[in-house]
Amino acid sequence: MSALTFELARQRYAVENLSDAHRELVLSRFGELETALPPDPLSADAVRLRIERSLDTASFRDRPPGPTEYRLSVDYDVDGVQVAGVGFRARIDRQTLSTHMVTCRDDAWFIDGFENLFRVVVAYRSFVSGSLVLHSAAFTDGERGFVACGRSGAGKSTLCGLAKGLGLTVLSDELNLIRPIDQGFALQAMPFAGDFGRSRAGSTSLPLSALLGLQHDSTPRLGGCSRAQAVSRIVASCPYLNADPQFVDRVTDRAVELVQRVPLRVLSFALDTSFWKVLDHEYPRARSAVSP
Amino acid sequence: MSTPEPAAQYRLDPSARFRVLDGEGIFILQGAGEVLVVNGVAAFIVERVTAEVAFDEVVAEVVARYDVQPDQAEADAMTLLENLVEAGALAAS
Repeated sequence: MSALTFELARQRYAVENLSDAHRELVLSRFGELETALPPDPLSADAVRLRIERSLDTASFRDRPPGPTEYRLSVDYDVDGVQVAGVGFRARIDRQTLSTHMVTCRDDAWFIDGFENLFRVVVAYRSFVSGSLVLHSAAFTDGERGFVACGRSGAGKSTLCGLAKGLGLTVLSDELNLIRPIDQGFALQAMPFAGDFGRSRAGSTSLPLSALLGLQHDSTPRLGGCSRAQAVSRIVASCPYLNADPQFVDRVTDRAVELVQRVPLRVLSFALDTSFWKVLDHEYPRARSAVSP
Repeated sequence: MSTPEPAAQYRLDPSARFRVLDGEGIFILQGAGEVLVVNGVAAFIVERVTAEVAFDEVVAEVVARYDVQPDQAEADAMTLLENLVEAGALAAS
């Protein structure tokens, strides 16, 4: 059994008790996040994820027939968060965020389950450290970071496709992190797969230039919205925590703080690249990049 | 799910959160992972009925605060409460 340490958005995660097969799978997906430093048993800064292999396959959710997307089961109790998916179940301790994953799989179902679980852990750890992980589409022209929040069907992947066609760099059409910095907020892609593919792990931060909601319309434009509407869009885009009774009020508070500093505007866009002229005109270029 | 009636008591659904921001109301429906925004009049009605103020009294307050006829205020308030109960934001008893 072995361990790996990852660093993501300035937070460290120690994945422990890995079999050779599990180690290979985890590295295949998150190897770019690996740090040279081994996990320190005495260190409290790394969130620990312990993997336990079980031979009791009957006690796990079975794989569905054929290729399919399935909904992760997440339940919240006083002391922890329970997560379950195909071939695994896990518990996240609220105090330490230490996570115990039990799995009966050594194949692609394992790494898919691990990634799904890792998303949840990262969302909690990032929030505790002052950030917000949003279901969102993010892209950049190399200087300015644009993030559009929205749930499935809002047009995130469509917008990313259009942005890529313009030569812009897509960060992620799935999960992006917003972190407060001295002069505003930094934007960073999370290395989790979306419809548009997997963002590059360990990507650097950019200054957050625009916080957007999405709306389909034939005419590209930016519209304002009330703070309540803005907060609702942000909170609805905070996966896992917005359904956690112990976190939802804090998530809402943080969303209020965010939209007070960075007003959310609603981008109306059609299935063409005309939206970029609006964004390029409305948001001035950032003067410097933010360090990762 | 029960159908709201004027005599019903309303409370926030246990799985929902509600707050007012700049006069508008925000419901966070944890079970569905959804968020609803209601306008100022609706936010006022929600605040009053969940404070256990009688429905008729809330309607009278709405008529006094806003330019609306009593019959219209009552019908609109009832529709609002029905919709919020159906959405899982409020519970009626």
